[in-house]
Amino acid sequence: MLRRSILKAGAAAAFALSIGTAAQAELNGPVNYIIPFGPGGESDISARLQQPFFKDKFGQDMVVTYQPGGGGAVGWASLNGLSGDGQTIMGVNLPHIIIKPAQKDVGFTTDGLNSFYMFHFTPDAIVVPADSPYQTLADLVEDAKANPGQVTMSGSGKASANHLAQIKFDKMTGALTTYVPFKGTGASTTALLGKQVKAQWGYTTVGAKQGEAVRMLAVAMEDRHPLFPDVPTFKELGYDMVGGAYRGIALPASASAETTKMWSDMIGEINSDPGFRQQMLDGGFALLDISVDEMGDFMAARTEEYLNDAREAGLIK
Amino acid sequence: MELGHFLSAMTPVNLGLALFGVIAGTIVGSIPGLTATMALAILVPITFSMEPASALILLGAIYTGAIYGGAYAAILLNTPGTPSAIATTFDGYPMAKRGDGDLAVALACFASVVGGMVGAIALLFLAPPLSKVALAFGPIEYFWLSIFGLSLIASLSEGNLAKGLAGGAFGMILSTVGVAEISADIRLTFGSQVLIGGFGVVGALIGLYCIPVLIDLVAVPDRHLKVEEDVKTLRIGEAYRIAARSKFNLIRSSVIGTIVGILPGAGGSVAGLVAYSEAKRTAKPHQTFGAGEPDGIMATESANNATVGGGFIPTLVLGIPGTPPDAIVLGALLIQGVRTGPAMFTQSGSIVYTFIYGLIIATILMLPAGLLIGRYAYKSIVTIPKAVLVPTVGFMTIIGTFSIRNSVSDVIIMICLGVFGWVVARFGFKASPIVLGLILGPIAEQGFVQGWTIGAATNNLFGMFFGRPISQAILAFTLITLILPLVLARKQRKAALEGK
Amino acid sequence: MMSASKAKSQGQIGSLLTSAFFVVAGVVTLYDTTGYSDRDSQVFPQTVAILLILTAGISFVHRFLRPSDEDGFGTGVWWRRCLLVLTMAAACLAMPYIGFLPAGAIAFAGGLIAAMHDRWSRSTALLYWGAGAVIMVVFFAFFKFALLVPLP
Repeated sequence: MLRRSILKAGAAAAFALSIGTAAQAELNGPVNYIIPFGPGGESDISARLQQPFFKDKFGQDMVVTYQPGGGGAVGWASLNGLSGDGQTIMGVNLPHIIIKPAQKDVGFTTDGLNSFYMFHFTPDAIVVPADSPYQTLADLVEDAKANPGQVTMSGSGKASANHLAQIKFDKMTGALTTYVPFKGTGASTTALLGKQVKAQWGYTTVGAKQGEAVRMLAVAMEDRHPLFPDVPTFKELGYDMVGGAYRGIALPASASAETTKMWSDMIGEINSDPGFRQQMLDGGFALLDISVDEMGDFMAARTEEYLNDAREAGLIK
Repeated sequence: MELGHFLSAMTPVNLGLALFGVIAGTIVGSIPGLTATMALAILVPITFSMEPASALILLGAIYTGAIYGGAYAAILLNTPGTPSAIATTFDGYPMAKRGDGDLAVALACFASVVGGMVGAIALLFLAPPLSKVALAFGPIEYFWLSIFGLSLIASLSEGNLAKGLAGGAFGMILSTVGVAEISADIRLTFGSQVLIGGFGVVGALIGLYCIPVLIDLVAVPDRHLKVEEDVKTLRIGEAYRIAARSKFNLIRSSVIGTIVGILPGAGGSVAGLVAYSEAKRTAKPHQTFGAGEPDGIMATESANNATVGGGFIPTLVLGIPGTPPDAIVLGALLIQGVRTGPAMFTQSGSIVYTFIYGLIIATILMLPAGLLIGRYAYKSIVTIPKAVLVPTVGFMTIIGTFSIRNSVSDVIIMICLGVFGWVVARFGFKASPIVLGLILGPIAEQGFVQGWTIGAATNNLFGMFFGRPISQAILAFTLITLILPLVLARKQRKAALEGK
Repeated sequence: MMSASKAKSQGQIGSLLTSAFFVVAGVVTLYDTTGYSDRDSQVFPQTVAILLILTAGISFVHRFLRPSDEDGFGTGVWWRRCLLVLTMAAACLAMPYIGFLPAGAIAFAGGLIAAMHDRWSRSTALLYWGAGAVIMVVFFAFFKFALLVPLP
């Protein structure tokens, strides 16, 4: 029994070695970049921004396709069944891939996904309409304390980055706000602009997209976002909140170490392009460079943080 | 200045792109399973190297063509090629069955062009003010709008209301299967992974509408559609006269389509259903909606094409995509470095206006292109021997359903749903109420949950549900739609009794 | 006597069974909702399930009290229906193993045989099977290479 498995392992190692030495991993033909959501969200926009740079740098087409369903679960559950030859990659999102498997069996596990790069995050932000009576974060907190539950805040989905931020912030301030879940950031922004809610738990991208129509009260970053030098961070205002929704890319688990490394380098190269950086910042994104080597530590830290938040919020047991 | 934009939309390149887009879109739309979203997603990289306005014209032309193309399969195969064409099946297929398929295709083309023009003109002249409609619609308004759409079940299932409602309720239950959209629970999957993504609308449409048709086709040796002896051309003259007679219906449906198109949470399928419902409510006594009434096709087709222009209003003015294809166009704009938002019409005015004129030109080109393609579509469907038609359509359902999410289990779900739909339809539970429930269920659920959350938080539940003017108007229309037929029927019965 | 034969007709039994199925579907939904953690996920399915049980229940009772031989599968050849559906299902199950085109061919062949009501002649056979092959290859190529769908 033991001998057989040793033999197997040996064969596998030899096989991997032979591939590794015979040919450096390379692309053959167009790459399929699967977004496990519908079009129009932050995952789609950032993939679309990568698309032309990928073509420029590596000469191959990057085809963005959508595989929505189950809040991303359909795509992620199918990822490891796809070919690991490096021609297919898929977007991954935090906290989704951490929270969902912790809630129920959704056909994939956080560790089972071969996430090889985290290339940006959208920092949490509290957004209000331009003509809102809330001029500062203090105004909103004060109102929420004076009228418990009456301050309604829209956000994208439940057990999401927005929802976790809302629960965390309510705990920190002792105020009580009402979270109203919408289907995606677009719908939650529409509700905000239409004054269906008083404020929104959104991202810096909302501020970038809506410009004059909205005002951000605070952003959950270490330092202020370059696009919004006038918007304070939560930290400046005395709340220890840094975070948001992180986005990265994964390969099927069967991809070789060489392929994974190649992809990590390629995404890193796009991420370091000044033109790409500028477009991302203009869109309100915050860039991030977690390559395949740092992925383990990063995921471990985030997993602990998110699971802790979700447990405290009562979203998971 | 306006003329300048018009002229820049008329360059040979832009005209060529508009024509190509309309033709490609029509073909894509006519194949069940292929959606405008998918065609646009694939074409976006090609537009990187184009001028922004040309890129937009190409994408807009494909979008508008696809919405029209959805009518072919709806009329000739009882299968909406795109969800927007659901209500086209109600009267289109009965017309085709009795030998008027050519007329129906021509009518759909006229109606689509009219609807597309109304939507585009609204986009041209009224975009900034109309974009406010998107914001005035809150969760409760969406809730009542979905209830209004569901009220169509009552008139679709005359004589058997209980079964119609049961079908609608079952459709709504199907819509909850999988990971809940806004509340993150996993519902009705019974522990299996297959259902976690829920029943996709496009796959369900193919299953519930197309598979039963195929099952019925193979069982008997009769021809698929009744055909007049010599099929030469579409009956364009006749179609034109009918369309001209129904101009009021066309305009009303186009306006409904434009407004519903502006609502980011609704889309072409809802627009078609609402316009159909309104056309049916105001029908003259001799009109038989549901049994091949030309006005039914025209209402749906003008409304769904009007959503194209309507959908671009919030997309361009607010940066909020009205429909998934709009979201892709928005992404393409972002990559081109164009900022959307209220300032777009002033800052990037030349791009926007050139695009709108391009969309209008594409819509006009749809008339000759659509009639020509429609003629071939009709001819090929009626002349292909049944023995080839059935497996071809069957093969298309498989490949089309697969490509929605690249998933084999979606195809299996589609076939199972089709067999199920065929069986229950045989015992009085028709497919359309189930489909209505499936499409409107999520809108109703989200609107209700959000409205309830907000109402409860502000201690104003009653005001939330019944106190808002738009809600009251929609509610009033719903009640009229439901009660008026009952009153009229009673009057008729009385008159008949007195006559005796 | 008349009503007894009606009560046993295919239409009567089938109608009762489908109505009963919908009632059961409503009950199953109600049971499933008890396992949800969020009240927001429960409200809608519960409401709709109750509506389903009521309406399907009404049509069941209505039919039970007034038996008739309305509805039913009607005429038509069963083996053709089954062949069509079963080959389509078989094609799906086989697709991951044998690839899309061979699997599609199974479904196509099934549909072609099922829908062929005329007598086969050498020319029709050649024409139909040939047309089928061309149609499938063209669609396959269109989806795989123009639309870039990763068909297995």
